[in-house]
Amino acid sequence: MNDAEQPIAQQKSQLVYWILQLAGWGVITLGRFIGGVTVLDLAWPRLLLELLLVNTVGLVLSHWLRDYVRRNRWRALPIRKLAWRILVASFVCGTPIGIVSQFTYLSALMEPESFLREYAPALQFQLALPVAVAFEIANCAFVFIAWLTIYFTAIALREHRSAQLKQSELAGALQLAELRLLKSQLNPHFLFNALNTVRSLIADNPARAQNAVTHLANTLRYTLSSRQDELVTVSQELDIVADYLELESMRLEDRLRIEIHVPEDARGVRIPVMLLQTLVENAIKHGIAELPSGGLLRVSAVLQDDMLILQVENPRPAAPTRVAHESVGLRNARDRLRLLIGPSASLDLDLSRPAVATARLRIPLQQ
Amino acid sequence: MKALIIDDEPPARRELRRLLTDFAWVEVVGEAGNVGQAEDLVASLGPELLFLDIQMPGGTGFDLLARLEDLPQVIFTTAYDEHAVRAFEVDALDYLLKPIDPARLAEALGRVKSARAARTPQADKVLEQIFVRDGSRCWFVPLREVRLLSSEGNYIRLSWGKVNPLLGRALAALEQRLDPNRFFRANRRQIINLEFIENVELGVNGRLHAQLRDGPEVEISRRQARLFKTKMSI
Repeated sequence: MNDAEQPIAQQKSQLVYWILQLAGWGVITLGRFIGGVTVLDLAWPRLLLELLLVNTVGLVLSHWLRDYVRRNRWRALPIRKLAWRILVASFVCGTPIGIVSQFTYLSALMEPESFLREYAPALQFQLALPVAVAFEIANCAFVFIAWLTIYFTAIALREHRSAQLKQSELAGALQLAELRLLKSQLNPHFLFNALNTVRSLIADNPARAQNAVTHLANTLRYTLSSRQDELVTVSQELDIVADYLELESMRLEDRLRIEIHVPEDARGVRIPVMLLQTLVENAIKHGIAELPSGGLLRVSAVLQDDMLILQVENPRPAAPTRVAHESVGLRNARDRLRLLIGPSASLDLDLSRPAVATARLRIPLQQ
Repeated sequence: MKALIIDDEPPARRELRRLLTDFAWVEVVGEAGNVGQAEDLVASLGPELLFLDIQMPGGTGFDLLARLEDLPQVIFTTAYDEHAVRAFEVDALDYLLKPIDPARLAEALGRVKSARAARTPQADKVLEQIFVRDGSRCWFVPLREVRLLSSEGNYIRLSWGKVNPLLGRALAALEQRLDPNRFFRANRRQIINLEFIENVELGVNGRLHAQLRDGPEVEISRRQARLFKTKMSI
C-alpha cells in the first residue's frame, strides 16, 4: 500500500513506532558504549562498530518480530499464552545474537565476569564458557522480552482507550434515544396548548384553572412515571384518559363531545401502559381537532370469545391536512403490544368507513 | 388599527383578546375559529392586522394567507409548530409562542406600528408584499425585490432572489395592483421590474431587449415599445 493512501491515524502511529524503535535501540547502543569505554576501558572504535552491527541486527529482528506477531494475531491471546510465547520468541531472537557476541567485545559487556573483575578483583572469578554464553544469550533475550512487553502494553492501552471512547459514544446514543421517546410521549403540542388554556382560565375562571393544573399534573406524572414494559388495568388507564380529556375539553370546548362505555368486567383486564391514552390522543389530534365543528369521541369495550376488544372511534376530515403517515405513537404502541402480550394481541386502525376512524385493540384474557 | 384573531381554541382567543386590552390602538374587530370563517371576516371587516394560528381544522394559517388578495400584516401565534415555523425562509415573519409572553407581544406590535408608519399614502392602492407558498416552503415576498413576473397558465412565476416560486394567481388580476412606477408590462406574458434593468438593446428582429440584473433578457413587444421608451426616456 502506498503511504499516501493510508489513513492519517495509521501514518501517525507508524511514525511513533519508528521513533520508539530508533530511540530504544539507540539508548541500548549508547549505554553499552559508555559502559564499555569508561568502566571496562575497551578500545572505542571497535566497540562502536560491533555495537552498531549487533544492534542493527537486533532492530531488524525486532521489526521482523512485530510483523510476525501481527500476522499471528498475538494481541488476541490470553495473557498466560502470550507470556510464554514472548519468552520463547525472545530466546529465539536472542540466542544467535548472544552466540555471536561471544566472539566480540560485547561478551565482556554481557556477562558478570568482567564487571566482577573490575570491582571485586579479590574474587578471582572465571566463568566456564557455556555459562558465559548462557549469560550473553539471556542478556540479549531480555532486550527482546522488554521490547515485546512494551509493544503489547502500548497496544493494550490504545485498545482500551478506543473501547472507552466507543462506550461513551454508545451511552450518548442511548440517552438521545431515551430523550426522543420521552419527548414523543410528552407531546409538546398538547403540553403548550394546555398551558395556554390554563393561562386563559386563570382570568376567566380561577376554579377551573385550578382543576386544569391538577389534571395536567396527573397526566404528566402518569406519562413520566410509566415504564415502557408496564401493564396496567383498563380502569387505571381510563382514569388518566379522563384527566387528559378534561384538559382537551377546556381547550376545544364544545367541539369535543365524549362518550365512554366500558363495562365493569372489562375494567380489570391488564393492558400495556399509555396504549389507550395514545389512541385517544390520536383520535383528537388527527380527527376531532382537525374538524371545524368537532365531533364525538367514543371509547367502548366488550368481552368476546376470551378477548377484550377496546375501541376508540372518532370522526375524521375527508382530506387530512396533516400528512397521513402512521404516527410514531401508534407504531410504538403496536411494538409494545407484540412484545408485552404476544402475537394474539392486535391493534388496527380501521378507515373503511368514510369520515370515521376506528382504532381497535384486541387483547386475550388469558395472558 | 383593526385586528382579527384567528385561532381554533376559544380560550386562546380570549387570552389574546385580554392581552391586547393593554394596547388601546389595536382594536379587535372579530374572531375566527377556522380558515373559512377567517376568509369571510377578512373580506367583510377589512382588518389591517391578523393574529394567526398555524394549525387549525380545515386548513392551516398558510392556507388562509395563500387565499387572500390583500395581505394584512400578520403575527403568527403557535403553541409548538416547529415544522410549520421552519417552513419559513424569511425573518420578515413574526411569530408568538403560546402561552404568549406579554413582552414579546409588545415587541411584535411595536414592529407592526413602525412598519405602518413607514407606509406611503399611495401604498393603500398598490401591493407591497405578497404571500407565496410553493410546495412545503413559504415566503412573504416584498414586490420591489421581484425582478420579473411571468405568466404560466393561471399561475405567475416570480423571479425573486435565488428562488422562483409559483404564485396561484392570474397575471392580469395582479397587474392592477402593482406599482405602475416600478412595474412594466413588457409583453403578453411578462411584467418586469424597471429597477432591475441593466441595459436595453435593439435585437436583430428590431425589437427591444431588456437585460435584467441577475436575471434573463426580456423582449419588449412592439405594442409596448413606445410606452417603454417614454418611460425610460430613451
